[in-house]
Amino acid sequence: MLRRARTGTEAVQPATATSETSAMNKPTQVSLPGFEQWRQDFDEQLPDAREIRNRSGIVIEPLYTPRDVAGDYEDKLGYPGQAPYTRGIYPTMHRGRTWSQRQLIGLGLPEDYNTRVRRILDAGANAISLIPCNSVYRGIDADKLDPEILGTCGTLINTVDDMTACMEGIPLGKISTAMNDPSPFTMLAQLLVVAERRGIDWKHITGTSNQSDYISHFVANHMFFRLALPGARRLLVDHIAHARAFVPGWNPLSVVGQHMQQGGATPAEAMALTLSSAIQYAEDCRERGLDLEDVLTRFTFFFDISISFFEEVAKFRAGRRIWARIVGERFGVKNPKARRFKFHAQTSGVDLTRQQPLNNIARVTAQAMAGIFGGLQSLHTDAFDEVLSTPTEEAARIAIASQNILRHEAHLTDVIDPLGGSYYVERLTDQMEEQILDVIARIDDLGGMYKAVEAGEVQRMLGESAMAFQRRVDDGEEVIVGVNAYDTEHEMDIPVKPLPRPPREHIDRYWQRLADYRANRDPSKTDRALDQLVNAANDPKANLYAAVIDATRAEATQGEIITRLRDTLGDGQPLIVP
Amino acid sequence: MPEVMINTRPARVLVTKIGLDGHDRGSRVVAAALRDAGMEVVYTGPWQSIPDVVKLATEEDVDVIGISSLATDHLLVPKLMRALQEADMAHVGVVVGGIVPDDEEAMLREAGVDRVFHPGSKLDEIVEFVRRRAGEAQQHPERL
Amino acid sequence: MSEAADDRINRLVERITAGDTAALARAITAVEAARPAASQLLARLQPRVGRAMTVGFTGPPGVGKSTLISAFVKEMRKRGETVAVLAVDPSSPVSGGAILGDRVRMAEHAGDEGVFIRSIASRGHLGGLSRTTSRVADLVDAAGFDVVVIETVGAGQSEVEVAGIAQTTIVVTSPGAGDDVQAIKAGILEVADILVVNKADMEGAKQARRALKAMLSLRVKGHLEVPVIDTVAIRGEGIEKLADAVGRNHERAAPADRDAARRERFVALLAECVEQACQSRLKALDGDQLERLQDAVERGEREADAIAAAIMDGGLASAVS
Repeated sequence: MLRRARTGTEAVQPATATSETSAMNKPTQVSLPGFEQWRQDFDEQLPDAREIRNRSGIVIEPLYTPRDVAGDYEDKLGYPGQAPYTRGIYPTMHRGRTWSQRQLIGLGLPEDYNTRVRRILDAGANAISLIPCNSVYRGIDADKLDPEILGTCGTLINTVDDMTACMEGIPLGKISTAMNDPSPFTMLAQLLVVAERRGIDWKHITGTSNQSDYISHFVANHMFFRLALPGARRLLVDHIAHARAFVPGWNPLSVVGQHMQQGGATPAEAMALTLSSAIQYAEDCRERGLDLEDVLTRFTFFFDISISFFEEVAKFRAGRRIWARIVGERFGVKNPKARRFKFHAQTSGVDLTRQQPLNNIARVTAQAMAGIFGGLQSLHTDAFDEVLSTPTEEAARIAIASQNILRHEAHLTDVIDPLGGSYYVERLTDQMEEQILDVIARIDDLGGMYKAVEAGEVQRMLGESAMAFQRRVDDGEEVIVGVNAYDTEHEMDIPVKPLPRPPREHIDRYWQRLADYRANRDPSKTDRALDQLVNAANDPKANLYAAVIDATRAEATQGEIITRLRDTLGDGQPLIVP
Repeated sequence: MPEVMINTRPARVLVTKIGLDGHDRGSRVVAAALRDAGMEVVYTGPWQSIPDVVKLATEEDVDVIGISSLATDHLLVPKLMRALQEADMAHVGVVVGGIVPDDEEAMLREAGVDRVFHPGSKLDEIVEFVRRRAGEAQQHPERL
Repeated sequence: MSEAADDRINRLVERITAGDTAALARAITAVEAARPAASQLLARLQPRVGRAMTVGFTGPPGVGKSTLISAFVKEMRKRGETVAVLAVDPSSPVSGGAILGDRVRMAEHAGDEGVFIRSIASRGHLGGLSRTTSRVADLVDAAGFDVVVIETVGAGQSEVEVAGIAQTTIVVTSPGAGDDVQAIKAGILEVADILVVNKADMEGAKQARRALKAMLSLRVKGHLEVPVIDTVAIRGEGIEKLADAVGRNHERAAPADRDAARRERFVALLAECVEQACQSRLKALDGDQLERLQDAVERGEREADAIAAAIMDGGLASAVS
């Protein structure tokens, strides 16, 4: 029970975004006569109870009581839509509008994507996502690569024409598009040029650059890391500045805690590193002279939801509270919209098992529940076969249905922050907050996130946590059903067909199209735009992202643009920390 | 400090990723486990091309190559196996770890891959296999 | 040595000198493992050693050494030279294993046949190199590479050993790396032929350079002027200058100096061999024998120096008796 602080000395100070919080979060002493009796009974009946720790290393007690909660209700928890937003960032939360169901799509050629996305829109969706082929992530045009690996994990999008084909018949000004589009954001550039050609004002383009968080790429998910750190740093700020000026409905930044956690960070570390990255980006924006009152309204976050249920709920609640304080206190930003911690979350693939894959449906359900109770704005549920192969359509359908079952049949959305006020959840939220603030303080001591990752400190932290977790699994300390416990011999007869890989003729057809694109454009125009891109890269005062759009408009391919930027700003290679 | 290893040589293992995917938590954990087992691990990070891997394995004179694949990059492994053969590197062991569908595993084994480790494999199991396979590779007659 | 083994060595020598990198790589493994055949091989190749320009790079962690080397290699390739890189990484003191990750920063040379990169684990040796690095350097030199680059561990210790092998030693620092210039430990500056301030576009570069120059001026007089070069390795800036400076340093060294340097290296090599021989004799002592010796020393009947002398004279038995 979280009571309003009584008067006088009993009132506990609110937690603030400093490392002093740990002292302040010490629970109040409440007289509970039955407690000692219970403790005695418990110890008697379970004399060798083993110590349980969650993934972030917090010791979990067998029981939580009013002794464990502290602080002023209004100040620490408050109400949905009010600072510090512990209970949710909007007054109506899931009562008003549940969450966006974003499933990632992208496969094969642009026309394949278009067919599939239209089906989804016809079924009533108003938000779409676009996942390009891994070749695009690498910034290499499709005609420079082996055909076997093209279009197997995402859509081939190298040119404005490809984007045109992807978005054929789709009302760009009316739907929101989330794109996995890392620096230098060539896909958004293509989308903007398509809009321009159709006469749609950029002001009506909405969506999110999902992979703009170059720090998490450098550290944990090298998939998206294309340019060396300094260049990536500059491009992100240029991108944000450009979006704020010309594409006001666009979220140019999504800070991706998911990469950190998938890369091995504990939930507390993942949250802390994400917030430290966001602090770095905010500082970089301020340095550029951008107004944080405005820019911070467009910061969004993206997290992993592991199966450590209560820990995840507490992670999200603590993160929301800390961010609101960071924005308000550290940056002195007044705009309430800027303090809202908007996040998308995806159930963690790391917890899924190859053994007995149907069990994954239960795992994803538990993960999704943790995210929903954590107050997410958007949810992706993994398909049960994701650990076996690229998800099949049937498995993806089950993943979506799971969300709807939780929403409607299980009534999870009837009450806002339904776990708020649970002694355990509130205590755990406080403890996660302490841990998170500790890590943030450590990163601050290292000179901020940019310097910390440059020196390899964050990589080391992730490597150690990943190894520690793997050892716990190997030693059977973490029980994984069907893997290290319970009937591991049983094999489920799940026919795992790899998704049909795009037929070779399709790739040939695509290559031809790309060749035609290069042949039909005005080479002098393209070359000039690419040269100007290099000039802009060499001129710290220019907005480099504007030059990326110009080059895209002049029909440079994504590979050509990125190659020129790599040559000028340095190629992105991960730092390997021994 | 361990005794200086005179007249012995630790297993040398290349841990790498070919193709386009960049997820490398698995390969990092495996690399660390092999190091902790006393092996010398040449670690490249993602995105290596097949000729690069062959050249690298040759120059580093490794005993085993470990390929991590979480997307579809394992589809390139048969090409790698052919390239290793052509480069007179057939004595080197090759293991693949990651997400590999069943029928594609069969294809990899046919191409000469020694073993495919799926998610859920124990580190100790991987370490033992690599150690044994490295021992075999070190017996190759061309090596002093 | 058997005729067959002799034949094999001859064949290997032929293959190595003909530019067969697989043969070279296997020979390096043998040298690192101190195989008997490796000594034969090295002896056979000795006449070909000494043609390459050897360049050592050292400096604290985080200054961008590998990136700088990669850019340097690129420049040397542009000048038509073939390059071998020996990159030393630390072995774990606990397990003896190592993660050798420097190749990542040299990825741009992956496909270049004119560049040979070999990662070396320090295997418990201190000083920034492995015990056998100098002999591995001889091997790649004999194999015909024009330039041999040696990168030290870079653990922030005084890694001066490389200066005994390389004709040109480059000490790299950068603004904001650890405690800036302070990170350059005493001793390391004395062995520098060239100083590089990498990441020179960063804040604090000027101060770093000034501090370096101040430290240089305190060095023993009579030293040739040591150039301080600004680079931004990631963008290839300043690399031509660096390559020119290396070339000048190489030319400047008079043949007499080079001979002296080679003699010094030979002495160092001998010392190393003696040390190894001693180590293996020490290892031959079993626990009992050691205990007896220790007892004798503790009782004041014998003293360690005398025992050591006895061991070195080859009289293990006499040492123990």
